[in-house]
Amino acid sequence: MSDMKTLLLELHCEEIPARFLKPLTQDFSTAFTKWAEGEKLGYEGITPYYSPRKLSWNISDLPVAQADQTELQVGPPQRMCVDEGGKPTVQGQKFAEKWGVGFETVRFEQPAGKKEPCAVVELTRKGRPTLDLLVEALPRLIAGLHVPKAMRWGNSSFEFVRPVRNVLCLFGKDVVPIEIDGVKATASTWGHRLYHMEHPKPIKVERPKEYVEALKAAGVVVSFSERRRILEGQLNELAAQTGGQVVKDEELLDTLAEIVECPRALRGEFPPEFMELPKEVLVTSLKEHQKSFCIEKTDGTDLLPFFLTVANRDDDPAGFIKAGNEWVLKARLYDARFFFAEDRRTPLQDRLEKLKQLTFHRELGSYLEKTERIQAIATGLAHALRLDFAQADHAARLSKADLMTLMVGEFPELQGVMGGEYLKHEGEPEAVWKAVKEHYHPVSAEDAIPSTPMGGLLAVADKLDTVAGCFAIGQIPSGSKDPLALRRAGIGITRILWEQGWTLSVEALVDLGLKAVANRASKPLPETREALLGFFKDRVAYQLEVAGYAGAVRRSALAIGWSDLVDLKARCEALSAFAEDERFASLAQSAKRIGNILKDEAPADAFEASVLQVTEEKALAEHLGRIEAASDQATLLAALAELAQPLAAFFDAVMVKCEDAALRGARLSLLHRLRKAFMRVADFSLWQ
Amino acid sequence: MHVQELILRLQRYWADRGCLVGQPYDIEKGAGTMNPLTFFGALGSKPWNVAYVEPSRRPSDGRYGDNPFRLYKHHQFQVILKPSPAKVQEMYIESLEALGIDMSKHDLRFEEDNWESPTLGAWGVGWQVVLDGMEISQFTYFQQVAGFDCKPVCAELTYGIERICMFLTGIDNIFDLTWGDVKTDDGVFPISYGEVRHREEFELSAYSFEHANLDLHWMLFSEYEKEGWRLVKEIGHYLSAYEQTLKLSHTFNVLNARGAISTTERPGIIKRVRDLAVACAKGYLEHQEKELINAEGAEKKSKGAEESKEVKG
Repeated sequence: MSDMKTLLLELHCEEIPARFLKPLTQDFSTAFTKWAEGEKLGYEGITPYYSPRKLSWNISDLPVAQADQTELQVGPPQRMCVDEGGKPTVQGQKFAEKWGVGFETVRFEQPAGKKEPCAVVELTRKGRPTLDLLVEALPRLIAGLHVPKAMRWGNSSFEFVRPVRNVLCLFGKDVVPIEIDGVKATASTWGHRLYHMEHPKPIKVERPKEYVEALKAAGVVVSFSERRRILEGQLNELAAQTGGQVVKDEELLDTLAEIVECPRALRGEFPPEFMELPKEVLVTSLKEHQKSFCIEKTDGTDLLPFFLTVANRDDDPAGFIKAGNEWVLKARLYDARFFFAEDRRTPLQDRLEKLKQLTFHRELGSYLEKTERIQAIATGLAHALRLDFAQADHAARLSKADLMTLMVGEFPELQGVMGGEYLKHEGEPEAVWKAVKEHYHPVSAEDAIPSTPMGGLLAVADKLDTVAGCFAIGQIPSGSKDPLALRRAGIGITRILWEQGWTLSVEALVDLGLKAVANRASKPLPETREALLGFFKDRVAYQLEVAGYAGAVRRSALAIGWSDLVDLKARCEALSAFAEDERFASLAQSAKRIGNILKDEAPADAFEASVLQVTEEKALAEHLGRIEAASDQATLLAALAELAQPLAAFFDAVMVKCEDAALRGARLSLLHRLRKAFMRVADFSLWQ
Repeated sequence: MHVQELILRLQRYWADRGCLVGQPYDIEKGAGTMNPLTFFGALGSKPWNVAYVEPSRRPSDGRYGDNPFRLYKHHQFQVILKPSPAKVQEMYIESLEALGIDMSKHDLRFEEDNWESPTLGAWGVGWQVVLDGMEISQFTYFQQVAGFDCKPVCAELTYGIERICMFLTGIDNIFDLTWGDVKTDDGVFPISYGEVRHREEFELSAYSFEHANLDLHWMLFSEYEKEGWRLVKEIGHYLSAYEQTLKLSHTFNVLNARGAISTTERPGIIKRVRDLAVACAKGYLEHQEKELINAEGAEKKSKGAEESKEVKG
């Protein structure tokens, strides 16, 4: 097609919250795509742009008009439209009139779904100019955007994310004359505020393809990914100049690229006396209060007394920006140091009483009660895992006390970390302070599990209390509803068990949890136990997926037991390795065949070996002995691998269901015992 | 830049842009928003521009005058523009220039920061205004006050006087700021912020954290509440009832600073303050409506009178 133009739409607003930029541009793109499909308007692609004050879209190669469309209008059956003499009936005439055509253009054919030929008129609908369609549609699409925290302004009742101050809308070189809340679209827009201190007039955009460059000339980099790239380069360079590296934080980098139009990273210093603060405190304080990065030594250990932040302009002509940021940072760190000093005046032990006032959950009581439950679970775990009982109890006792400190009040994300730091300062053993410090981990799929066994134990105890407690009062996650992030907690528990390689069954774990929360339960315990086991089974299945096992391995391994993760892991490992073996396919097939043969049989376990006649079946019986003698998964798997050949030979040579009852019984028992051996590893009937 | 000069310049600037210059309201409060000039001004349809300074008390923020950055009582400069003008951001930026900030040399950002006051049942959306990394103002488009939609919507600008002054002077201890110069026959004596306010910070922090009589405050809380409801319900007076609401709110803050309110109790107590605030707002709106009807009636009457005169004449 020859006549294509590009559509450019920009809503220039007062500063839009960073978190809404991407969703809003995406929502509009989706809505536009859907609308264009409905209007049968093809186009090449949508490129969305956004910056703090702009939401814009470049929609390339949109036809200037809809194609003409033909459509069939079906009327009454032919016999009712035409009389026996071949003349049109009244009904036939009316049908033609209805569509504004003469009767001679009416055709008769049998449309799909009709039993006889009917009157048909083929109409051509003229395609409308795209410009007209856009004028009707764009305001509606914009007003229809879902804005989570919409606002009104001035006298108007129009709702949007922030006041719309300018609308730029071009279709090719033509302005699309739309109006958004009284703001008429033009071919102009505004650049960076600094630029307009010297250029009081708006900037003109002649055609869509000049848009990005025109804005750049006016101080605005309108592409998010470009701003992010620029910033990342600058940050790395500024960090390298100090001999260190940026403390990575992708989320912060995103935010910084979202809050500026003209990105410029800058480096400041802070007084070295603040280096006595724990690294986490500095990193969190700088991030949360000043959206700044820390710089660490290249080995990732200690911090250097520098920070990196971003300005919304390309230079710092008087040094005010650097000085200002340093000044503010000092005030913030002063606060952090005050909290750190103040908090250490009261040992965590002495804060326990106050946890009584802090509600964990209306139905599950205060944090003091939660602490007591964590202690019960932790000591139970220590007993089962043969870890230091007293230490587990002590760490659990102190695990939540930092919630009452000033620092955690200021930075909730430092919970655990501060507890650990303060306990370290109080001279507690490393096992205890580290356990407390790390017990909220893993907080996400990428996050590591606690680095010590005691930390893992405490993390499991804390999460298990939350999960079991919520299940016991009927707060079970369903669908997208999981307000207390129980699934994440469940995954955390599973990962710790899995990665620590603890020989503790999930069933035993669930029972420990249930015992701890029993007195708060409002649902019957057996029902809760059932639900919890189902919940954990799903988490374990997910863990297998994350660990990268193939579907067939997961299914067949899970089917015969999932609660003992060490055993499950060994079986999955063995199966995955074995699945590569060329003998495996034949074995899996034989295993399925055994399943089929035994389907309606109930053979005895024991059989008389002497009854067996054929060489192949005798060999197989001998082999069974070796398999049954295998005491661990590796030996068992090796023996099973060796089985492939004799088993195949057996099926070639032997008819299992023979006439002789004694012989048949022995053969069935032989196969039955073989299946039992398979079942120690996997259910091969699910292997596909 | 002296503290008083900052206030004077802001008053001059906003007066020149069509604002009434208001005065602080003489009852303790946590923020300039609670001044009736804003609380009632933001409600109803009448155009309303006002600017004033408001001493704001936050008992929990008290630091005995030891912390160079935090205060029991700080000063807010508050501007209300109703309806919010189309160029409100530009007007704000020009006000910074009026304070002597050369915007061509600084970095200015508007970062999302929405405002909510559970005790007033009010919320709005807006930004914290960040200059060279430092938050210097709150900028809010009021959406609701006391649960009533703001129609039209007003813009509220709140400048932190002490912060801006520290920033402009580069002095990193509030108490070292200069409040102003005292000139006498004997010479010029610069008076520091500390000289004017340090003792107050010390004593009022001590009062909030240690010496406030809890029984008295609990008693006051319920008495102010009773008095407020009596005024708004039985007498039908919203403004005197609102004064009781302000006292109620401050009493709550003192109790809170003493740690006398548990986390579970807090929402219930906040609701008691809000309920009274909502009743006052309702009283105000009803009163406004009556006045509007009366005014229309009076207009008709006087028109009628003129017409009858004409007939007579």
